[in-house]
Amino acid sequence: MNPGLKPRPPFGLGTYLLMILGVAIVGGVAGAAQVFVKDLPGTLGLILTAAIVTAAMAIAFAACIWWWRGIDEAAREAHKSAWWWGGSCGMAIGVVILTVLTIHDDGSTSATVGMTAPDLVVTGMWTILLFQLAGYTVAWAIWWLKHR
Amino acid sequence: MNNRLKVLRAERDWSQADLAERLGVSRQTVNALETGRYDPSLPLAFRIARVFDQPIEAIFIDSE
Repeated sequence: MNPGLKPRPPFGLGTYLLMILGVAIVGGVAGAAQVFVKDLPGTLGLILTAAIVTAAMAIAFAACIWWWRGIDEAAREAHKSAWWWGGSCGMAIGVVILTVLTIHDDGSTSATVGMTAPDLVVTGMWTILLFQLAGYTVAWAIWWLKHR
Repeated sequence: MNNRLKVLRAERDWSQADLAERLGVSRQTVNALETGRYDPSLPLAFRIARVFDQPIEAIFIDSE
């Protein structure tokens, strides 16, 4: 490295929020697009839905790599700690709560609110993800508080 | 691990933001380094040594 050159400043909160907004827009566009193709006849609807979701995930993943390369090493350590401890604990808590809530349900509760089996699978998946995200956020904040 | 970052920075009359800019890290990272609550990677330790023009062992003190 040339000692005379100023290093590039790391990405801050603004870049992070911009990336989240961009990924959310991509997710929204993908969600809207799959509404139009999911009911196409034959396997075409399934293939197009898979292609749209895969493309959206690939774009989100590329954005994450770009952002990850732009933050500094302490910020990466905070996210690694949050991913492992926060994500794992959040998932564990979510699994316990979901299991307790659903174990005594004979299906009448979900039927009352008009949920089908696929709806329940997707709801369970997103609920666990939200628990992981909550745990991640808490662990991330704790890491920075401990390293102040 | 203890370090002399705060002293070296004060000697040069730099703010944490000044040092962060020179190192290419955030001000929060400089703060975490100065309080000794975050140990830098070897590449960052070398960058710090270059910025202060001192050997690594003159900046970081093994507390064990």
